[in-house]
Amino acid sequence: MYDVVVIGAGITGSMIIRELTKYLLNVAIIDREASPGFGVTKGGLSFIHLAHFCPPNTLKARLCLNAPQKFKRLAEELDVTFKETGELLIALKDEMIPEIRMRKGWGEKNGVKGLEIIDSKKVKELEPNISDKVMAALYSWGHGLIYPPEFCFALVENAKQNGADSFFNTEVINIKKEDDGNFAIFTNKGVIKTRYIINSAGIFADEIADMVGDKGFKIVLTKATMAIFDKRVSSFVNHIVYAGLSSKHTQMIGPTAHGNLIMGLGYFVTPESKWDTKVTKDKLNEIIKLGLEMFPSLPVGDIITTFAGIRSENLMVPDGDFYIEYSNESKRVIHTIIGSPGVTASPSVASMVIDMLSDAGLNLEENKRFERYRKPFPKFSHLSLEERNNIINENRKYGHVICRCELVTEAEIKEAIARGADTIDGIKHITRAGMGRCQGGFCSPWVYKMLAEELKVSPKGITKKGKGSFEVIGYTKGEDENIEN
Amino acid sequence: MKTSKIDLAIIGAGPAGLAAAVRAKELGIKDLVIFERDERPGGILNQCIHNGFGLVRFKEDLTGPEYAHRFIKEAKSLNVDIELNTMVLEMTKDKEITLVNEKDRIKKYKCKSIILSMGCRERTRGAIAIPGTRPAGIFTAGKAQRLINIEGYAPGKKVVILGSGDIGMIMARRLTLEGIEVKAVVEILPYTSGLLRNEIQCLRDFNIPLLLGHTVSEIHGDKRVEGVTVVKVDDNGNYLLDTKQYFECDTLLLSVGLIPENELSMMANIPIDSYTRGPYVNDYLETDVEGIFACGNVLHVNDLVDTVSKEGEIAAEGAANRIKGKFPRVDKTILLKKGENIAQFVPQKLTMKKSTTLLIRVKTPTGEMKLSIDGIYKKRFPYARPSEIIELKIPEKEFQNKNILSSELKIDCQESKNGDSMHSLS
Repeated sequence: MYDVVVIGAGITGSMIIRELTKYLLNVAIIDREASPGFGVTKGGLSFIHLAHFCPPNTLKARLCLNAPQKFKRLAEELDVTFKETGELLIALKDEMIPEIRMRKGWGEKNGVKGLEIIDSKKVKELEPNISDKVMAALYSWGHGLIYPPEFCFALVENAKQNGADSFFNTEVINIKKEDDGNFAIFTNKGVIKTRYIINSAGIFADEIADMVGDKGFKIVLTKATMAIFDKRVSSFVNHIVYAGLSSKHTQMIGPTAHGNLIMGLGYFVTPESKWDTKVTKDKLNEIIKLGLEMFPSLPVGDIITTFAGIRSENLMVPDGDFYIEYSNESKRVIHTIIGSPGVTASPSVASMVIDMLSDAGLNLEENKRFERYRKPFPKFSHLSLEERNNIINENRKYGHVICRCELVTEAEIKEAIARGADTIDGIKHITRAGMGRCQGGFCSPWVYKMLAEELKVSPKGITKKGKGSFEVIGYTKGEDENIEN
Repeated sequence: MKTSKIDLAIIGAGPAGLAAAVRAKELGIKDLVIFERDERPGGILNQCIHNGFGLVRFKEDLTGPEYAHRFIKEAKSLNVDIELNTMVLEMTKDKEITLVNEKDRIKKYKCKSIILSMGCRERTRGAIAIPGTRPAGIFTAGKAQRLINIEGYAPGKKVVILGSGDIGMIMARRLTLEGIEVKAVVEILPYTSGLLRNEIQCLRDFNIPLLLGHTVSEIHGDKRVEGVTVVKVDDNGNYLLDTKQYFECDTLLLSVGLIPENELSMMANIPIDSYTRGPYVNDYLETDVEGIFACGNVLHVNDLVDTVSKEGEIAAEGAANRIKGKFPRVDKTILLKKGENIAQFVPQKLTMKKSTTLLIRVKTPTGEMKLSIDGIYKKRFPYARPSEIIELKIPEKEFQNKNILSSELKIDCQESKNGDSMHSLS
């Protein structure tokens, strides 16, 4: 019997499970995917915003306040990537001027300091490649850049280090409230019993709500398209630059935590299903067109990959504010139904959920042995030459580069597998092997071999992102995995 | 960290680097090392187990590993030092390189000369932005070749190949021989982008359908590829949606172009030609940085390994002369410019101190045509295809005897009209 089970290991669930391990509780996290952050989280942006993105007096404005500082501290504790950057909300057209002023007003009401409206000359100084049409911009510093799947993985790893259990590839089929007020969660892997449930299932939160008896939860999905550029053109854009930002579309280009550029999101469309992360040619052309409006000489030939992500909003509260409430059926179930900017708000969502659990009668006794620091995970590419020299001295396999584009060594890939990354995407998310300009062309045969060896599986057991996503079908000849099978 | 001095560093032990090393040794350069990322020398030839290599150079029909072996054997007999599992991390204009391996950890070399022979990489799905989902089962053709020929893995059961580059066509045959069904090779252009001999020997001889003027408009499947939609395209590359065909398959192979791997060159601020995507070089294959030479697929994507080896040797001769202080004094360099129907060429600059062979690619196919260097030098060819490099030999004396005042000359490919006759036929 668990005290609390968190359903969903996206950024929200991952934050919550780690926060829960600060108390003497028996806790677990469940996710249908193979690894933390494999759902909506991995298809999102990686910006930690200041609170001027949220209308004043909303729950999300409150939860987003001081988010970059929170992420910075977490990144230190978890030894994951965090970078600080500035942001420009630019006006290319007259009608954006009032928008800029409004956002400044929002920010100030929400308690954000240092927001400044700058003229076109100053914008040009900050972004030399920007369109000559730029009229003014709202400038702010102190935004964060993270890589959300890496963050999720580290949060869950740290939670496990502090005693949490995790169940991946585990899909919730039904939830039954028992006579004693506890719950039985039926999954494809068996039944899990718990006293409290946190529903952080993201775009599937309506289905989980339905299972506990909260009918009619409505989540509205939209789809957005993004493109990633080769690192060699990273200096083309210095800040996160937004030229349009509404419930209908986002026109943005900015740096990623790992030093690429990311561009998107275009005009939102309704996905065909919760699984629809298809990129279409029209949407791709659209984001390129929007990008060129902001930066006319944008090096579109240096796009290395494109993808689409799902955004969600709910219809339970007006204006797409967050819905973080107890179930109508039981105070022992908390729904965290969020939307954009969900990553930014996630540390505060976790704190809020802890308070709500306490109010609902869960006894929170401090875990004095809580270890806030994850075991360090040195990244070869982040180190100076001197540091690289020293680390190879300690572990020779840091001297063997496997992913040439992102400079990832054999030592890091083995370490990732040892920490629980058991898919090609999982390894990619936490080491960056295969994320560069050749997109795994050279390194993935090595990664396949290492995965097969370390996990002791046949080639067919190597998957991109979990069950069904096998990379190869076996050996061409001999052995037991003949292709005829 | 150690810093050592060395006469010649060769980056990459593929066919270009091996040929360069052998030639440099023959020319008396003793202090040289090849640095190779992989665990064995030979580069991409190791996975090219098909035949067709060495027809020009050895007048023999060899496989890739056999061709590589000839050079590896020779390199060994000349005691060429090859550092394997070694990656060059940095290179500067001052010819200092920083490398990493397990044995030396981080090590720096100050070099008198450097030969770049890093080869190329494959263009990916992301780079050409194929719409659709992002499942497992999408491979570049070269990666699939490595999986089958080196690792012994079968990538899938039913395959569609997008792009008719040489590796794509060779893989169509290779997959068929492994009992894997190749449903179609789909090419967006109205002609194949590889060699004619591969179109015949790899596709036609195996009855593999070739869809010219078509492309993949959508990839289907959530976990693993389940199929692809193929459409015809118009002259502007727009999809003609009423021509949609669905191919059920579990694998999509991409053979959509190769990109020279010039990250190190760019680090050293070596100017790069945006058409070849390799460094600008003169007829000694010297880049704009004195003492740094480039050869093979890092310079431009070659059709045949025979020319790659040749380039390695030319680069080695230049580097050896630099090291010995015997490089000829160059008073004037002529810059060659792209003219009519020319896609790219190397070298881009002529010192006119030696005879040279220009390797030229045209933009669109033509029948009988002549290549002309600003009218000064002309040669007629029976045809030209973008997928086949044309070799235009320019004898040493050709330009020296003519008093060329211009510092720029234009190369044109002019399709012959009926009745047009030329005197300088050779």
